[in-house]
Amino acid sequence: MILLLQAILSGVLVGGVYALIGIGLTLIFGVMRVINFAHGELVMLGMYVTWLLFVKLGWDPYLSILAVAPLLFVWGAVLQTTVVNRVLDALPQNQILLTIGLGLVMSNAVMLAATSDYRLVSTSYSSASFDLGGLSVSYPLLLSFLVTVAVTVALYLFLLRTDTGQAIRATAQDRLAAQLMGIDVRRMSVLAFGLGAALAGVAGALVAPTYYIYPQVGAAFTLKAFVIVVLGGMGSVVGATLAGVLIGVTESLAAVYVASGLKELVVYVLFLVLLLVKPSGLLGKTRA
Amino acid sequence: MISLERPAVRAALRWLPAALAVTALAAFPFAVTKPYPINMGVVLFLAVLMGSAWNVLGGYAGQYSVGHAAYFGVGAYTAVLLFERHQVAPWFGLPAAMLAAVLVGVVIGGITFRLRGPYFVLASIAVAEIIRLAALHFRSFTNGAEGFVIASAPSIHLLGVELSFGTKRSFYWLTLALAVAAVLVSRAVLRARLGYLLLAIREDQDAAHSLGIGLSWNKNLALAISAALTGLAGAVFAGYTRFIDPSAAFGLDVSVRMVLVCLVGGIGRVEGPIIGAAILIPLEEVLRNPGGLETVGLLPRGSELVAFVGRWISPAHLLVDGLIMVLVILFAPEGVAGLLRRLRARRRESAAAAPSPAP
Repeated sequence: MILLLQAILSGVLVGGVYALIGIGLTLIFGVMRVINFAHGELVMLGMYVTWLLFVKLGWDPYLSILAVAPLLFVWGAVLQTTVVNRVLDALPQNQILLTIGLGLVMSNAVMLAATSDYRLVSTSYSSASFDLGGLSVSYPLLLSFLVTVAVTVALYLFLLRTDTGQAIRATAQDRLAAQLMGIDVRRMSVLAFGLGAALAGVAGALVAPTYYIYPQVGAAFTLKAFVIVVLGGMGSVVGATLAGVLIGVTESLAAVYVASGLKELVVYVLFLVLLLVKPSGLLGKTRA
Repeated sequence: MISLERPAVRAALRWLPAALAVTALAAFPFAVTKPYPINMGVVLFLAVLMGSAWNVLGGYAGQYSVGHAAYFGVGAYTAVLLFERHQVAPWFGLPAAMLAAVLVGVVIGGITFRLRGPYFVLASIAVAEIIRLAALHFRSFTNGAEGFVIASAPSIHLLGVELSFGTKRSFYWLTLALAVAAVLVSRAVLRARLGYLLLAIREDQDAAHSLGIGLSWNKNLALAISAALTGLAGAVFAGYTRFIDPSAAFGLDVSVRMVLVCLVGGIGRVEGPIIGAAILIPLEEVLRNPGGLETVGLLPRGSELVAFVGRWISPAHLLVDGLIMVLVILFAPEGVAGLLRRLRARRRESAAAAPSPAP
């Protein structure tokens, strides 16, 4: 029983960060209908910026979020305006290939700049944990989770309460109608891609203390982010939040009850089943 | 004297350039014995083989699989496991590898062909990842992350001549023959009834279905051909490098490079993979191992260019792949073959538009 609770607890904590990655991806998809296959590489960039700030300036990973978020926002906006915006009307397959290419460029550019050595952000609390009624709670995971919750709440408020947030949601709902209502949909696309990239970068900063950092680390995040986005219903921010936590718990349970080497395999198998049984996801309505 | 207008002669003339090119390629190892260009030839022919394989499903039927590493890896592991565990000779291992890849393909096809567009792409990637993770985990069967190193190279007695599979040259001829065969298969598929059905499915699945074209059967047929050729390539690749591990066999970059070869050359065209491989592979090989240019005398020893590329670009030669991928999608989504055709059409147009000479 304690094992089960422990697995669920760790799963929820990790799942929070997954949710952050998934929200970014779903935001991009919702507004632009482009599947961003370079999303994991944005997480990877966030990890490297965090590592660089940690090594060169001694910044705490959680402090580095303040730098990672704006940097990745600008990078995402640049990618959107210079590259992704040109393929909005292309075949979805071509959009996927394009973003796969962007991912290759990013991971290999990082490999050139920082070599493929494994990097670590080892803080004093990287492996610290405390006891909660018999359950061990990892300190960095809990901290990451709390930051995730704060970021998610802020994002929700932004999307629901501000005019710009409304405009982004309107664009996601119906691009043409939004345009007819006088919304600058191109600007919303840039904003959405920037926001998505910033969220991915923040997630990268949050996992930096507990992960190995290397140029190819992004690929696993990309696929996981897709599972989350499809599970939550493509384009649904609430869905992605729930699905992220759900995937975190599934992984954690699979690691305990199946085998730790097979936790991702279990997630992908469930993903295939989901695609076949309910491709619209948990909260989705339409079938794309 | 034979008239050049006779159909048989014209047909022969049409095949002549291709036949000459293949003959020249086959004769190449007699003229040049340095390992560097021979190795490049093997890699190039494998790329043509794999590109043609992908093209049948991705290009003709429009099912963009980014998970063909599944078939490549299954072929590679089948041949290697048979050889290492049961001492089955590679020439029996090759058909077994093709068969295994087809069987896996039929299962995967049954699952993923119900999905369309981006969902199909995602599912194909997920399937390849599932197999890679399984190959990593079930060590007793696959040796896990260690993979297999093939120590001894078997030889084959063909028509009384002993051919060793251990030499680069024998692999050069083997892969050349396979590449030619794959291109011919790809051409035959396109010209057969199946080809027309696949094109119809690619252009509009629902319309094709309403005309009575069986979607599932034809897609699976295309996949079977595609998977068989890909599995064959995997088995030959494993025999050539004498090493196989889950990331070399099932890695996402294996799948991506198959798509890239077709994308650069022109997706859905018989000549696409040939053009794509001819552009990509020499570039890739030179960037990966620039020192080879010194061994063949194209650059002087101790060349600074080689030192520069070796220091700065070789560790990340996939960067160039990524850049090419982005640029081709942005500026030439129909690939080089598409560009050439557009160019030719424009020239013909301007020729037709030009004022006819005064009588």
